[in-house]
Amino acid sequence: MKKMLPESELARDERFVRTKIEDRLFDPRGPKIAQRNTGPARMGVDRPAAGERSRSLMHGIFVGEIQALEGAGRTCYDFDEPDAPFALKLDMARQCWDESRHCEISVKLGDHMGTEIGEYTESTFLFAAACNPDPVLRLCGVNRALEGLAIDVFNSMKTFGNESGDPILEFCEDWMLADEVTHVKMGSDWLRRLTEKDPERRERALEFQRTVDAIFNLGGFRGEDDENPVQLARNFRRLAGFTEEENDSLAELARESTEQARQMAEAATATLNASSQGGS
Amino acid sequence: MTDHTKPRPAFAPWDRRELPGLFSVEESARRVGNYKWAEMRLFEVLGGWVATIPELDVKMVLGRHTYHHAWHAELWHKRLPELREMNPDRLTQPPNDEFVTFMNAIREPEAPELTIEKLTGVYRVLIPRFIAVYTYHLNGTSTITDAPTIRSLKFALQDEFEDWRDGEMLLQSLIDTPEKVERANARQAELEKLYLASGGIAGPGSLGDDSEATVGERSVESTHA
Repeated sequence: MKKMLPESELARDERFVRTKIEDRLFDPRGPKIAQRNTGPARMGVDRPAAGERSRSLMHGIFVGEIQALEGAGRTCYDFDEPDAPFALKLDMARQCWDESRHCEISVKLGDHMGTEIGEYTESTFLFAAACNPDPVLRLCGVNRALEGLAIDVFNSMKTFGNESGDPILEFCEDWMLADEVTHVKMGSDWLRRLTEKDPERRERALEFQRTVDAIFNLGGFRGEDDENPVQLARNFRRLAGFTEEENDSLAELARESTEQARQMAEAATATLNASSQGGS
Repeated sequence: MTDHTKPRPAFAPWDRRELPGLFSVEESARRVGNYKWAEMRLFEVLGGWVATIPELDVKMVLGRHTYHHAWHAELWHKRLPELREMNPDRLTQPPNDEFVTFMNAIREPEAPELTIEKLTGVYRVLIPRFIAVYTYHLNGTSTITDAPTIRSLKFALQDEFEDWRDGEMLLQSLIDTPEKVERANARQAELEKLYLASGGIAGPGSLGDDSEATVGERSVESTHA
């Protein structure tokens, strides 16, 4: 078996439907959807679309967990010493088991919430971040950026479970949240250990992390306002080892992304209005 | 009131542990180093295969088993310095080149349609042999002097038995045509021949020295005659 598996070769059964992230961003239906005034994007129980949004997010969590499992597994296989020390591989093997449990939990929660595998599409960007040929960049992209995002997502879902009176959802999200804090700590620990004598490599890794963070902020997905479906979980992030400076920087990045998304939606709506007036 | 000063035997009547064992410190360390090498190669490939396997249930089980074998490798890694090997990497070795060839063959399948070949290699060839070599060590080593190895062997064996059962059940559910039976059998035979050539996870003598056993049996037979 070869080292470094491209994302195009990820093996799935026939239920899964794959899309590219750019397909979602440039979906021609986007401007029309943006025209609808559906209120704050934050998942609230009083929102008519809350059920649909939570099911969609649950499916997104499920496919994300599969890719996180696959990414950790590939890190066990793709690298040899000294690039990946024995102890790092042990951590990745442990993460395989954790992500495998998260897949199991997500499948069962999906059933519980009324969705099923394949109802929503799968974008493989998470695994793409897990394909970086430098193990330090891979760990920064996955264990710090994406597992950090998972902290925000699970905390938002946990809150939603609590507010919507769903103790099963709240219970499961809390358990997964505990694992994600551990994974982020692993990422921070290995970043420090592997780049102790190579500050340039550390900076490259942190830059890669910022890129991944920025991509997952796209469209205002994450932030600290009502416009963001997923809320930044500062307390849990602190527990995982993110500094206050890092959290502030991420919040700023999220605000910029949200503002960009708002401007894009306004521009698209204006274009749509102009074309419809011209056509009448 | 009991007399707490009354002498009691050092070993309770039901404690039948004995001092003699088959392995010296060096031999035990050599075997443990072989185990660690094989467990490492196994957990690496299980992790690598997860992304190449389309069957969701198999994918998730392999994720769990990846950790089991990594943990075994860690147990052996920690045992080596206790067996006077202060540089664990020195003994983290395959027993011979033939065993490397065997492990490379186990790790070879990649395509998504080869799940049966992947699982047959691990669950019908390699893991039954881990069970055998660990059981041999467990039954042969000194139950008093090598007790820490025995404890680790028992933990590892418990996982091996359960993982073998998981893998065998997955295989039985995947092998649903006579052609797939043939595929699994052919794969098993190919790998067993390679394993045979290596002598085992700890090399020749993995399950004891056959020639010595034969000599012993012959002398008993000649006495009876």
